[in-house]
Amino acid sequence: MKRALFQAEMIRSELEEIVGPAFISVEESDKLVYSTDWSWMPQMWLDRGRPLRTPDYIVHPASAEEISEIMEIANKYRIPVVPWGGGSGTQGGALPIFGGILVDTKRLDKIIEIDEKSLTVTAQAGIIGTQLEWALNEKGLTLPHYPASANCATLGGYLAPRGTGTISTKYGKAEDLVLSMEVVLPTGEIIHTPPVPQHASGPDFFRLFLGAEGTFGIITEATMQVDYLPEARLLRAVLFDDLHNALEAGRLMMTRRLDPFVIRLYDPASTLTRVRKILGYDFDGAYMVLGFDGDPDIAALQEQKAMEICARLGARDLGREPGEAWWAHRYDFYYPPQNLKLPWMYGTTETVTTYDRIEAVYYAEKKAVEEGFADWNVRFIGHFSHWFHWGVMLYSRFIIEEPPADAREALRLHNRVWNAAMQAVMANGGMINEHHGVGLKLARYMRRQYGSAWPFLLRLKRMIDPNGIMNPGKVGFGF
Amino acid sequence: MPLENVILTTENCRYCLMCRHVCPVGHVTRRESLTPHGWALMIASVGRGLLAWDEETVQALYSCSDCGTCRAHCVTDQPLPEAIAAARADVAARDLAPAVVYETHRALKEWGNPYEQQSPAPVEGQGEVALFVGDEARYLWPDALEAALKLLKAVGVEPVLIGVGRNNGYLASSLGFPSTARDLAGETLSELEATGATRLLVLGPGDFFTFSQLYDERLGIEWPSGVVLEEVVTFLAERLREGALAFRKAADGTPCAYVDPTHSVRVTTRYDAPRALLEAVLPAPARELFWRRERAHPCGNVALQFTEPHIARHLTYSRLADAAGVGARLVVTEDAGSLSHLARHAERFGLRVQGLYELLADHLA
Repeated sequence: MKRALFQAEMIRSELEEIVGPAFISVEESDKLVYSTDWSWMPQMWLDRGRPLRTPDYIVHPASAEEISEIMEIANKYRIPVVPWGGGSGTQGGALPIFGGILVDTKRLDKIIEIDEKSLTVTAQAGIIGTQLEWALNEKGLTLPHYPASANCATLGGYLAPRGTGTISTKYGKAEDLVLSMEVVLPTGEIIHTPPVPQHASGPDFFRLFLGAEGTFGIITEATMQVDYLPEARLLRAVLFDDLHNALEAGRLMMTRRLDPFVIRLYDPASTLTRVRKILGYDFDGAYMVLGFDGDPDIAALQEQKAMEICARLGARDLGREPGEAWWAHRYDFYYPPQNLKLPWMYGTTETVTTYDRIEAVYYAEKKAVEEGFADWNVRFIGHFSHWFHWGVMLYSRFIIEEPPADAREALRLHNRVWNAAMQAVMANGGMINEHHGVGLKLARYMRRQYGSAWPFLLRLKRMIDPNGIMNPGKVGFGF
Repeated sequence: MPLENVILTTENCRYCLMCRHVCPVGHVTRRESLTPHGWALMIASVGRGLLAWDEETVQALYSCSDCGTCRAHCVTDQPLPEAIAAARADVAARDLAPAVVYETHRALKEWGNPYEQQSPAPVEGQGEVALFVGDEARYLWPDALEAALKLLKAVGVEPVLIGVGRNNGYLASSLGFPSTARDLAGETLSELEATGATRLLVLGPGDFFTFSQLYDERLGIEWPSGVVLEEVVTFLAERLREGALAFRKAADGTPCAYVDPTHSVRVTTRYDAPRALLEAVLPAPARELFWRRERAHPCGNVALQFTEPHIARHLTYSRLADAAGVGARLVVTEDAGSLSHLARHAERFGLRVQGLYELLADHLA
């Protein structure tokens, strides 16, 4: 025991020398706060009065060089390093499940350059999304990545799990907006990816760090593509009687490249519950919000063409107000007490697949959840919010308002519902996730998801992180 | 605030991260535990037996600036600052607060302010308009009061002064002593009643917030129905707009930035008034800080100046760095407490500090 304490103090002392005494903490209140992210499992566990595994040290480095030195210590003592941006992940990706050094990146919050000619911004990865956005807005620019977590997530947190924002349908996922990055590897080397992503000068290795969720290193800086704030944003809403025609309308808009910045399609269950509760609309059917932006004339024409498609498929035009109100209040869904919150049980079992499979995935998942857990009065709701030329993302959720009181029973039930949903998704050709990442929650599905490619990924992980220090237990690595 | 409301609020906020981007303490410390959700989770975890109020957790509890920025940005108006003040009251009542909290409280009880061992000056006279002076304008930056009176006189208003040297009650409430806050509020309201005034002017948003919101929500004190509350800046800006007030343009073209004073985010109708007044005087438009208007961070003149002075200092540094970052060489604001804290550290950022009221009074046409 004394030896363990001695070693703990040795490590603390060495870390303190790197970041300074003001930027390391071993205090219990800090440890507790950093022991949970935004995922249901640890929050429920604490909610039931049970302690979680905490980090042993919380450090706040101010540079990539300091992180590099932290890696050296972690490798020397073989202790885990867990990167922490905003802690807004829903999959347990930032949980320090094996203790170790938690690296909070929020001191890396400088905007290094805004290039108004090439329309790029280079910033340190710990900057909070909304703060970066405000700085860009001062120059008439925007980073067109608007996730609901923008007020808390960091730039690094946008990239590490391959995040998606509200207007991704036109502007792409976070990974589509990044030109280059600085990364501190688990071995402590600081590397820079090539300055532009589109080239033919060798393999596209920089994408390895997108979706690795900190298991391949810590992103410390990124250059992102930005846009001018749009001259016009046209919002409108339509209502479909059934989901099939609504999905077909969305597909036609995308495949005919009408370039909507948003198509938000709520299934009838979501329209009846969440939309009614938050926005106050009493619609019966599938409520779809459409948005077109940029040059006002072009946006108006795109909207007109989209409305023609909707009309042909039997949609009712609800006018601008229900579209504009959704845009104005799109994040209200996430504020307490109107968000999904404890003591309820809930999970976002979102997925993505091609247009030919999306309905099968939706109905299979809905059936698996609703029929498998009818005894728990489970509710299954979903919306389709990130559209591609080839397919669409389903943001599916389950809600159980009266879960077991016992923490262990609740956790087991949560896993069972998730498992039923994921099995149904994978059996019908869906991916286990589109934008929240894998984290801890979905780690167990990675082998099946990747099949014969999984051993290759494992070999990569061993090569990049030979001592297995980086965020162990996440993305299926490190167990 | 009743205990059940504290619990409801902290239960709502403990896993909500939607206001973290605006928390000034989180901004300067970068510690997750020193953000709105961190404080809420800490209070909720004490309730669940996962943490105890000890030296470390109490210190964290007393690290919130009680600036109101989190609530101002909350779509559902969660009264987290009020819940934190209530949790502090619980801690203070159990003799668990830091020694400095009790020392400050003793000064508030005995002298009505934490700055000077001097009792508030008695009220003299009656009139339709009263002006609350408070402790910061009395002891920290008296020039603001003198200049404000000169400006008011220029538009024919000579207010009766009340609360001269007395804290408005905010500090006692913020430290966890609602009973003392009520006593201070009671004395101020008695003075107000004695003047017979139907309009009370205040020198900054801190007083406005305390009288218009804190008294009701935290102390259960109803504001006298016949008395209109107004900030001097908004009063003067209206006179300027009407043409009843005029200024000469300043000759000095030093790049200037306006600093929205502490508690500005709690009074969302005030932002244009000081800017309109400044525009009337300055030869060039004032520069805007990044942390301005509805996202304005506080200076160090909050309870943190006593409980966590290094955090308070960094809050002030942050405002000054913001001003220096936009190229200003002069910062202007009207709130006496903000002015005194800015002035203490301005030189290290290559800045000068000027009171808005003084600047305006010097350029009366």
